[in-house]
Amino acid sequence: MSNRMSNVLNKQSITRNRVWRSIFRHGYPHDEETQSRVMADNLLLHIHPVKVKKHSLKITYTWGLGFISFFLFVVLAATGAWLMFFYVPSVDRAYADIQALETTVAFGILIRSMHRWAAHLMVLTVFLHLCRVFYTGSYKHPREFNWVVGVMLWVVTLLLSFTGYLLPWDQLSYWAVTVSTNIAGSFPFIGEKIRILMLGGAEAGQEALVRFYALHIAVLPLVMTVLIGVHFWRIRKDGGLSSKAEQEEEHLETAK
Amino acid sequence: MKAENREVFPRDPSKTYGLMALVKGTSPQVEKGMEDTVMSWPHLIILEVLAALGTTVLLLFWSLAASAPMRAPVNPEISDNPAKAAWYFLNLQEILLHMNPVLAGLIIPALVIIALMAIPYIDRSKKDIGVWFASKKGRSIALWSAVYTAVWLIALIIFDEFVRVRSLVAESELMAGWVIPILVIGGLSTLLYVIIRRWCPTTREVMVGLFTAFVVSYFLLIISALFFRGYGLHLTWPWDLPPGALPF
Repeated sequence: MSNRMSNVLNKQSITRNRVWRSIFRHGYPHDEETQSRVMADNLLLHIHPVKVKKHSLKITYTWGLGFISFFLFVVLAATGAWLMFFYVPSVDRAYADIQALETTVAFGILIRSMHRWAAHLMVLTVFLHLCRVFYTGSYKHPREFNWVVGVMLWVVTLLLSFTGYLLPWDQLSYWAVTVSTNIAGSFPFIGEKIRILMLGGAEAGQEALVRFYALHIAVLPLVMTVLIGVHFWRIRKDGGLSSKAEQEEEHLETAK
Repeated sequence: MKAENREVFPRDPSKTYGLMALVKGTSPQVEKGMEDTVMSWPHLIILEVLAALGTTVLLLFWSLAASAPMRAPVNPEISDNPAKAAWYFLNLQEILLHMNPVLAGLIIPALVIIALMAIPYIDRSKKDIGVWFASKKGRSIALWSAVYTAVWLIALIIFDEFVRVRSLVAESELMAGWVIPILVIGGLSTLLYVIIRRWCPTTREVMVGLFTAFVVSYFLLIISALFFRGYGLHLTWPWDLPPGALPF
């Protein structure tokens, strides 16, 4: 009997069946052939090349900032979707919903705090990533346009964080958004129009809350996802991460 | 033609290939052959898993230690004092104190974004790819630029607090909000550029100097508005900040 149990618990009994093998076509990648195939065939992994430059794995070269920024975006999407279960973007309910989240929903404070701090951290890591790319000269040919996409991603990150700021509908969010939209309102000619477009009215109220909510949970995440797709695609197409080895190419070209 | 006739490398009839030509330069495989790469699985994947786990653990402990902020419900009649934006916009809020809102809230941010996007189209040399701060010279330029920017910024913030440009030219918003700020920013940037030129730098090294000035301003202005501005957004010490002055 105990023999049978150990058979059931045996790792191989989980992997040696048709269902498992229909999902994971390769065994654990021990040899280089399977390691190549797992990278090429898996939807999540095929974003990476089969082989990478040793140089691009050096921690002190990238500090992992790009990956961490992306991972924080994933955390924000997951915790954000969870928060949407408990939140209604109405001036009558928003504040009470957040309070209920903190008092009656299991893990409510934890998930809301993770969403908040991950957003703050992402604003920081995206900017530090931008600095890393600049200081290592990684924006140079052929990566010029990917740098431009990166600057756009930084701006979208700030906008996402800004639109989320209003949603708890407390004093902190209300006055931060009032101050910011007043700045836009002071611009000549179109300032007041921009302000009313942002707020959907003369001052921050129900219309503003719905607009910020729609931007925060639908429009901007979509823009972000598309831009991230372009950003990652171009990293591959432009030859992976930048490296010193690319300097030599130019010497060759100038020698000809 | 003569060289070919002498047949330095005679063609071997048993081979389907032959030596075509000799060219100068190193082989394109130098320093980037297969030996310079590793398999993504496991070398890259393990790092990504570790980074993801590390970030998750950090977030979990941070969130357990400190909850996301929640102030009183909205009251349009009473504003917080000081009313601060999110910390990553506080650099904008700080420069708003010193110049016309159109300049601080629209023109400067727009110029910063355009200038950032233009960097790779201005600095087109491929010489320093993959080298932190471009060179030893770039390092000293960056350090110098950081010190220069920090000293001037702190001096200007303190000057505007205690001498008040707006009280010197009280009647003229054009002077106080536009002319003086533009002259100060433009003048100090030009001076920085002139000083950097003394190193005889490449375009890239000039860029390193100017970008460093931007990054230092970016963070110092945030720190100033975040930790050193109390009631009415006046300068104060971090330990004298009124309750609720930190926007998180």
